[in-house]
Amino acid sequence: MDIIVCVKRVPDTNEADIQISGNFINTKGLPFDVNEWDKYAVEEAVRLKEKYGGTVTAITIGDSESDDALRRAFATGADAAVRVSDDIFNGSDAVASAKILAGAISDIKHDLVLFGAQASDDGYGATGQAAAAILGLPYASLVIKLEADNGKIRATRELEAGMNEVVELPLPALLTIQSGINEPRYISIMGIRKASSKEIKVLSAGEISVNTAEIGNNSGTKTEKLFLPPVLKQTEFLTGSVDEIAVKLAQILKDKGGTF
Amino acid sequence: MIQAKELTEKLEMFACMQCGKCSAGCPESGKSGLNIRRIIRELTVSPLCELKQTDPLWDCTSCSACTLRCPRGLQPHELIIGLRGALIETGEIPVTARDSLEAVFKHGNPWGRAKQKREEWTEGLAIKNLSDSQAEILYYVCCAAAYDPRVQNVARSLAGIFNESGSDFGILGIEESCCGSETRRMGEAGLFEMIVEDNMKLFNSRGVKHIVATSPHCFDALKNKYNAEAITVQHYTQYVAGLLDGGKLSLTKNLDKIVAYHDPCYLGKQNDIYDEPREILKAIPGINYLEFDRRREKSLCCEGGGGRMWLEGTNTGERLAETRVKDAAEMGVDIIATACPFCLLTLEDAVKITGFEEKILIKDISELIVEAL
Repeated sequence: MDIIVCVKRVPDTNEADIQISGNFINTKGLPFDVNEWDKYAVEEAVRLKEKYGGTVTAITIGDSESDDALRRAFATGADAAVRVSDDIFNGSDAVASAKILAGAISDIKHDLVLFGAQASDDGYGATGQAAAAILGLPYASLVIKLEADNGKIRATRELEAGMNEVVELPLPALLTIQSGINEPRYISIMGIRKASSKEIKVLSAGEISVNTAEIGNNSGTKTEKLFLPPVLKQTEFLTGSVDEIAVKLAQILKDKGGTF
Repeated sequence: MIQAKELTEKLEMFACMQCGKCSAGCPESGKSGLNIRRIIRELTVSPLCELKQTDPLWDCTSCSACTLRCPRGLQPHELIIGLRGALIETGEIPVTARDSLEAVFKHGNPWGRAKQKREEWTEGLAIKNLSDSQAEILYYVCCAAAYDPRVQNVARSLAGIFNESGSDFGILGIEESCCGSETRRMGEAGLFEMIVEDNMKLFNSRGVKHIVATSPHCFDALKNKYNAEAITVQHYTQYVAGLLDGGKLSLTKNLDKIVAYHDPCYLGKQNDIYDEPREILKAIPGINYLEFDRRREKSLCCEGGGGRMWLEGTNTGERLAETRVKDAAEMGVDIIATACPFCLLTLEDAVKITGFEEKILIKDISELIVEAL
C-alpha cells in the first residue's frame, strides 16, 4: 500500500505570552513542533506500511524550517519526503492549502492519503476534507482505528457522546486521523541525525498542478481581525473543611455540566 | 527483545562472576521486575547478548548502589542506561518517558513548561542575570527548582543564603536549560550530547568559572559528564559548608527539632558527599540530630532518579519514600532534611500518603538554614 501523509510544522503557544501584530501572531521565540494530530497520522502510515508493505511519502508546505517535520517523518519510517515551497503560498487558507497539497499529491502514486484531523495553530480541521474533494477521493474524518482488507479500508470514526461509527471505503481514499489512534514512537536525536542525509524533494508552485489564482492571498477567506478573547473572571477559591470543599466542588461540576 | 553485544563488551560485563551483590543491594530488587544480576547473566550467556524482557529496565532509579557494591568494579547502572538507549533507538519506550524527553528537546525542561516562565521564582528578589551582568558564581537553578512551586522555595532560600553571605552570584534566567542528567539516565545519549554542547556554549559565552547547583542531579551531570575541566562545579551543600567554615554565614536562631538527614543517591553514593550536609545541619543551634539506620552508602533510594520522576515502573507496592517516612516516624523525627529536589518531592508525597502530614515535615537543608539565620 502506497501512503501519502501530510504534515505541518506549528508553533507551541502553551503558556506563551502571545504577541499579535496585525493579523499575525509573532512566533519569534516560540518553540515549534510537528502538529500533534500529524504525529499520529505519520505513525499510523508507518504502521500500515510495516503491516501491509508499500511506501510512505510525507508532504508539507513551508520554507526550509519545515524540513524538521519531514526529517521526523523519515525517522519514524517514511521513505520519501516532499516540501512544496513558494512565496505565493503565503496567506493560504485551509481550502487553498488543500489545493496546493492536492497538486503535489496527484503527481505521486497513492492508495491512501492521511491528514491529521486538524492543526493546532489555525484549527480549521478542513484541509483534509477539502483535499479529498479536490482529488475526488472518498474520505472519512476523525479516524481512531484502521484496517485494510482486499482493496478496501475499514475506518472507525469517533463521534460525539462516546459513539463510534465504522465505515468502509474503496481505495484510493483519504482519511483524517484523530489523536489517540496509536501511541507515536519516540524519535531519538540519533534517528533525526540519520534522517538528515535523506533527500527532501522541494517543489515550487510551477512544479505542481495548482491554479495560482486561487491560493495564497487569493484564498476564499480573508482574516479580518486576530485578537485574544477577553479574560473572564471565573476563578473561585473554595474555602472550608475538606468535606465542605468537596461538596461545593461537586455542586459546581454538576451545575456547569462537568463530569457528573 | 534487544541485542546488546557491543554494549555488553564495552562495559566488560563478561567479568561478572554472578556474586549477586548488585541485586542484593538494589532498592528495586524484590519490589519490581528488575534483577540486575539476572540481566547481566542473560546478556552474557546468549551469543548475541539478547535480553528478552525489557520492561523492568524502566524500574531502575539509577541510584548506583549496584556499581558501588560490585567487587569487580563494573558499572551495572551504566549497563541499564545503555540498554535503555537501545530501546530509545527503537522508539518503543514508555509514553511518559517519551513526553518528558520531547519536552526537554522542545522546551529545555522535562515538564514541558514555557522557557519564559523559568525565572518566575525570582519575583521580588534582586538577582543578577549573567546575560547583562558579571558574577563570580553561576547559581544553576535546575528545572525542578525553577518551575515546581514546592521546590521554588529552595531556590529562593538559596538566593537568600548567598545574599546573606555576600556571595557574588548570578543566574542564567530564561537562558538556562535542563542539564540533561535524567535525559542521559533515560538512555537518550544523542539528546544529552546536544544539551552538553548547547550548555557549554552558553557557559563559555557568559564566562562561567564556578557553578553552584541546587540539585545533586545537575551537580553530578555538570561535574562528571560535561568534560568542563575549567569550571569548578559544586553542590550547594559543599559551597554553604564552606561559607560556614569561613565564617561568612552564622546560624543563630534556635531550631528546637529532631532532624534526620536523608542522603540523596546522586550526592552520596555517586559523589561521596556525605559529610557537608551533616556539618550544616549540626551547625544549626538547637537541632537534635539523628541518623537513619540506612544512611550514607546504604541510604535508601527515594526512587526519584534515573528518570523515575516521569516513569511509574512495574512495581505497584509501597514506595521506598513511604518506607523512609515510616522509619522516621518510628525514630520520632520531626523533620526529614534532604538536599535534592527529587527527594524533597517524593518524600513529601510519601508523608501525605502515609498520613504523617501533620507530624513529619520534609525540608530542604537550605530552608532550615534560612530558618536559623
